[in-house]
Amino acid sequence: MTATVAAPPSTKGFSAAAQGLRLELRNLRKAYGHTQALAGLTLTLIGGEFLGVAGPNGAGKSTLVRMISGEGKPDSGEMKLGGEDWRPASGESRVPVVHQEAMLFPDLTVAENLLAGRTGNGLARRPSPGAAHYEVLDRLGIARFGDHLLGDCSLVVRQLTEIARALAHGEQAQIFLFDEPNSALTEEESAELFAQMRALCEDGNIVILVSHRLNELVHSADRVIVVRDGGVGAELMGDSLTEERLAREMVVGKTGKVRGAGNRISSQAEAGPSAFALNMRDWRHRDGSFEVDEFGVFEGEIVALVGVEGSGGRELVRSLAGLEEVRGAKKISDRSVTYLPADRGESLFSDFSVGQSLLARLGRGVIAGRWGLLKVRKMEQFAARYREEFLVQAASLDQPIGDLSGGNQQKVAIASALAERPGILALEEPTRGVDVGSKAEIYRILREFAEGGGAVVAFCTELSEVFELARRAVVVSHGRITGALDVAELPDVGSLAEAVAGLSGGYVREQEEPHE
Amino acid sequence: MNSVLRNAVRNPRILGLLSAIVVIGVIFSANNPSFISTRNILGMVRSMSSMGLMALGLTLVIIVGELDLSIGSIYGFAAMLTGTIWVDGVHIVPALLVGIAAGLVIGFLNAALSNWVGIPSFIVTLGMMTVVYGLSLLISGAEGINPKYADPPADPGQLSVFRALGETRLGWNIPIQVIWLIGAAIVFWVLLHRTLFGFRLAAMGSNPVAARAARLPVTRYKFIVFTLGGGMAALAGMLDFSFLGATDPSSGQSLLFPVFAAVIVGGATLTGGKATIVGTVVGALLLAVLNNGLSIIGVGAFAKEIFIGGATIAAVALDRFTSLKRSKAGQA
Repeated sequence: MTATVAAPPSTKGFSAAAQGLRLELRNLRKAYGHTQALAGLTLTLIGGEFLGVAGPNGAGKSTLVRMISGEGKPDSGEMKLGGEDWRPASGESRVPVVHQEAMLFPDLTVAENLLAGRTGNGLARRPSPGAAHYEVLDRLGIARFGDHLLGDCSLVVRQLTEIARALAHGEQAQIFLFDEPNSALTEEESAELFAQMRALCEDGNIVILVSHRLNELVHSADRVIVVRDGGVGAELMGDSLTEERLAREMVVGKTGKVRGAGNRISSQAEAGPSAFALNMRDWRHRDGSFEVDEFGVFEGEIVALVGVEGSGGRELVRSLAGLEEVRGAKKISDRSVTYLPADRGESLFSDFSVGQSLLARLGRGVIAGRWGLLKVRKMEQFAARYREEFLVQAASLDQPIGDLSGGNQQKVAIASALAERPGILALEEPTRGVDVGSKAEIYRILREFAEGGGAVVAFCTELSEVFELARRAVVVSHGRITGALDVAELPDVGSLAEAVAGLSGGYVREQEEPHE
Repeated sequence: MNSVLRNAVRNPRILGLLSAIVVIGVIFSANNPSFISTRNILGMVRSMSSMGLMALGLTLVIIVGELDLSIGSIYGFAAMLTGTIWVDGVHIVPALLVGIAAGLVIGFLNAALSNWVGIPSFIVTLGMMTVVYGLSLLISGAEGINPKYADPPADPGQLSVFRALGETRLGWNIPIQVIWLIGAAIVFWVLLHRTLFGFRLAAMGSNPVAARAARLPVTRYKFIVFTLGGGMAALAGMLDFSFLGATDPSSGQSLLFPVFAAVIVGGATLTGGKATIVGTVVGALLLAVLNNGLSIIGVGAFAKEIFIGGATIAAVALDRFTSLKRSKAGQA
């Protein structure tokens, strides 16, 4: 151990530091481009409190975390810590952040990770962990992993290491931010993590947990705020803190109120019983991501698979297109399945123009003739037609695809998939990062496809999307289908949220970047 | 002009390269008027032809996002193999076919190792470069071959057939290698810019993940481009062998840099998705002009290397500056 290593942390130190700990945020505003991510958010936290943060995508959750951790600066507003003006810098020692994916050094041991970032003494000296560091590990119950390489440890150990690092780094740590820390953990591992979070509270620190799992928020936190439209939309504590209330608060004020123009799904509802477009039995992923006894989609139907990240819903959609290793029986009506990933970084060809992007999935017989020679004039006609048909707003077909807005890029992506004339369109989060106007247009495009006899299977994490788009919602949780809902029967998004929460054990939606 | 495919042609990079060639040409001509003579220009284009043929093949490999470092060695090996078995008594026609086949097979092996075993093509072809060079040394005993003066000498009839491939002069004294280059460039232009194959290659290189999601035949196409690249290198080696009348096992080893430089200067990005045939040809031309002009004005062989290396870096640096603005605007 070298002299440069920080003084050993102690439990007493924390309590002392946390005396009278009080974090006040007043009227915080932050804009990214045209998006107002925070619009006057006000919030007060005191030491010893466990605050849960929930909210729909793009509501400002992540921005709030960034402001507190110093990863971003508010445009205006006040931040006070213990009554004094406070401007955290990135990597602020008083605010350790535990991320969804632990951001540490996999090739160092657990104990060595506590030292990373500390300077050694001179060139030749590599700092080595001392008793004080093992003490911190011991408190978190991971001392036995001290000499293991971090990369060999389980995710929960990695995340506990991140906490340990925060503790060892200074007596100063007071506010602990957990940004969806357990989305990849098992239930027991989560419980272990939550116990440690509770212990941090009891030492007088502030613990902030951002999560999309409503049941966890309800069970762990003292108080849960719902961030909505860049502010605190609701605050639940004590008796009012229930999953049902929370599920409702999450979707209030979203598009659900407007109730997507009466014709939402009427035409689908009228369609009588039709043939299976797709039917699977004993459909199992090789690595266990999902195990589905039976799943079927009718022609002319839009089905939403609802689930969180890691629920297996995404993999299930991909498996329909043959992109996952699966065992089981699949029956598909004679027409093909086309798959479109959620991330436009995975669905569009960045060097292509708008016109090329629209045609990228087409093949011989359509844009190419004998010898594979491109039919240049036909390509032009097709591209122009798709651009019009799918309402793509672009200066010209020559424009690079990257220059379009997110909504128009997504329209191009969907157009290119539908241009293949598939029988079944399997896609993920059809309107992720898309503006409201384009959303409505994309829903219309998908409905028209279904009305023409196509089937759509969409993995969705946004309930407002499920409500607008689908006739049937199939809830996926822990790799299993836990129930199905007739969306057309439900009056509003709030009741959909409650129903889904009931079927999946407290899920509402995944977190996403607040700006696009 | 077709608006879907247009950006392949209307490329500021190519206009820039052409003006650079003109400017450099004027400077060289001012220094030494013989630079601009028909004779010199034809000679210059001939001397770049083998580099150009290889660069055409490499362009397809690079646009799909892969690399092939073994082409220089393939060039030397194909010529050496043909020469060796010819001198050993095999007729020149099958000997030539064996040489070309060797290039195709090595290209196929590159593809197999990178696609089936999953080794990055940089490493596969880096290894293959040395393996194939070793093979050249092995079969030749590290000695060059000149069939005309071999023991026994090559059959004069066969020799004239062979030499005709690369040495013939056509009307207006045009070397046949120039025609080989122009012909190949036209074929590759059609292949890359006017066939479904080329359209999809660009898509795959632009975003391999999306290409797989769209179920484009990524693996099959990679096999084709590597195999074709190996074949082009073998053809280039054969034509130079024919032109010179002799070959030695280390020929081609110095070609790797100019071939890559031609493709890169021509506007291709090593990450794939972006490359044009016109760019590659013009890039090769720029390098040939520099090479030839610097020789004519007497800079000397050593300083010449410095200029050519520097020009390659400068061309890419210039591209970074101009494309940086665009990519920033393009982020959504």
